[in-house]
Amino acid sequence: MDNTGKMPAGDRRLFYSLAPAAVISMGILVVMTVLFIYYSIPAVRVYGAKLITTSTWSPSEYGEPSYGLLIPILGTLISSIIAVVIALPLALSAVFFTEEVLPRSMGSVRSAFASLIEAMTGIPTIVYGLWGLMVLSPFLRDNVYQPLYRYLGFIPLFSCEPVTGSTILTAGILLSIMITPFIYAVVRQSYNQVPRTYKEAILALGATRYEYARILFGMIKPAILAGALIGFGRAAGETVAVALVVGNTFNPPTCILSPSYTVSALIANQFANAPLYPYMVNVLVLGGLILLVLGIISNILGVMYLARVRYVA
Amino acid sequence: MDLVEVRVSRLNVWIGGKHILKDVYLKASPGSVTAVMGPSGSGKSTLIRVINRLIDLVPGARVEGEVLLGGINALREDPYIVRRLTGMVFQEPNPFPHMTIYDNVAIGPKLHGLARSRRELDSIVEWALKKAHLWDEVKDRLHDYPYQLSGGQKQRLSLARALALKPRVLLLDEPTANIDPVSTTKIERSIMEYAKEAMATVLIVTHTPQQAARISDQILFIYQGRVVEYGPTRELVLHPKNSLTRKFLGGEV
Repeated sequence: MDNTGKMPAGDRRLFYSLAPAAVISMGILVVMTVLFIYYSIPAVRVYGAKLITTSTWSPSEYGEPSYGLLIPILGTLISSIIAVVIALPLALSAVFFTEEVLPRSMGSVRSAFASLIEAMTGIPTIVYGLWGLMVLSPFLRDNVYQPLYRYLGFIPLFSCEPVTGSTILTAGILLSIMITPFIYAVVRQSYNQVPRTYKEAILALGATRYEYARILFGMIKPAILAGALIGFGRAAGETVAVALVVGNTFNPPTCILSPSYTVSALIANQFANAPLYPYMVNVLVLGGLILLVLGIISNILGVMYLARVRYVA
Repeated sequence: MDLVEVRVSRLNVWIGGKHILKDVYLKASPGSVTAVMGPSGSGKSTLIRVINRLIDLVPGARVEGEVLLGGINALREDPYIVRRLTGMVFQEPNPFPHMTIYDNVAIGPKLHGLARSRRELDSIVEWALKKAHLWDEVKDRLHDYPYQLSGGQKQRLSLARALALKPRVLLLDEPTANIDPVSTTKIERSIMEYAKEAMATVLIVTHTPQQAARISDQILFIYQGRVVEYGPTRELVLHPKNSLTRKFLGGEV
């Protein structure tokens, strides 16, 4: 097909039959964004910037309610950052392990291992949530949080007594387990796409396996960043699992051993009753909008970084 | 300066059951250039990769025979030691795209702790780039990334990266196959100079008899994995004994 002339009839039919599918999927995003903006406007009109700069959440059927999203927003950011900080080294170690440490002769074990990790992305998040609530959070409270508080309590991050295992840190740790497979998949794919000639060149210099992996990871740094961003986006949006372990309390998440809130958990927990309170629906929709924007930005940045993994030989 | 002679005897290589190299032998002395010549698919690259154990990366490869690098049995020794002793330049120019020109040359010395100070590292980098006849073209942009370089410059950078470790054995796998004539001449000069000055043992894979004639002291002609003819360059080029060699030199194989 040349770009100057008209499309041949066959191509035109193909164009008109496929265009709706593409337009619809893009259109849904646009419509959704517009709708979220539309529904959050009333709350923004009444409360203004206070919605995201204050931290008091006291809905009230009568009198003056107050809706401050600051704590859930911080909670979302902090738990997601914790998740990425933990998941990134885990994912990189796993890539190094499956691609380099497992011997080449164990090809089937390697691919089984890799498939298993990548299959973890398909586990329903409620499963992670239940496990987090029943196993992870009591375990962490007794074996990690108590000692952290006792011995490192002078650090503000660990300065509150861990009464329950449901804390912002638990949410972060659970999220890290959930996003590790995503980061692993992104990084592993790029790792294996590095042309063989570079791999040979590194080894020909007499690099050890560790040095080899370090140089290769350097070469695919944009992919690692992309994985981290995509993982961050997933962590920020994750709802069910987080709602089960985050504690759902309006404590400032600046001490990560205290129960707190995330935006997604707030929406999930409060939406059912929201119509009872003035403007609460609109405030929660604003929360959704914030998550939408956060997710889109981190994914677009991630994809942009991924596109930067180029090998000009 | 230790001299490392390369001695290959009764070398057989199978890859996935296919017999790639059959009873290959050669003896390359320090200070000389050996050209490994033959049509594509004759096993030349495999031979080079056995010497520095990159063959280990090839799934399903089986190696039998003996490869001696000086006193070291290359097939039994730790591959890191073997590769530390050897340097390699590949067919495709492959400077690391995420490292600056400077870092590409400095990476080897850094990995092996050859420089005790930044100044020492600077001088190694300058030395290697000069040896690769690239210094004048890049000295003002050492901290740029290699993507702006031409193919020939990239290949000279790859050569400088290998030379920076002062390898006792230098292996080159058709280094000028896709390179412009000016860079080709410079690379050929570098190779000959390095062999003489450092008393290094150089093996270069080439599929052009002209290149072999220009730069080598001896030629190993292999065809379908077997040594067809082996001898001093002048003798082999002027008076080939084997009819296959004659055909190859005449451009018929």
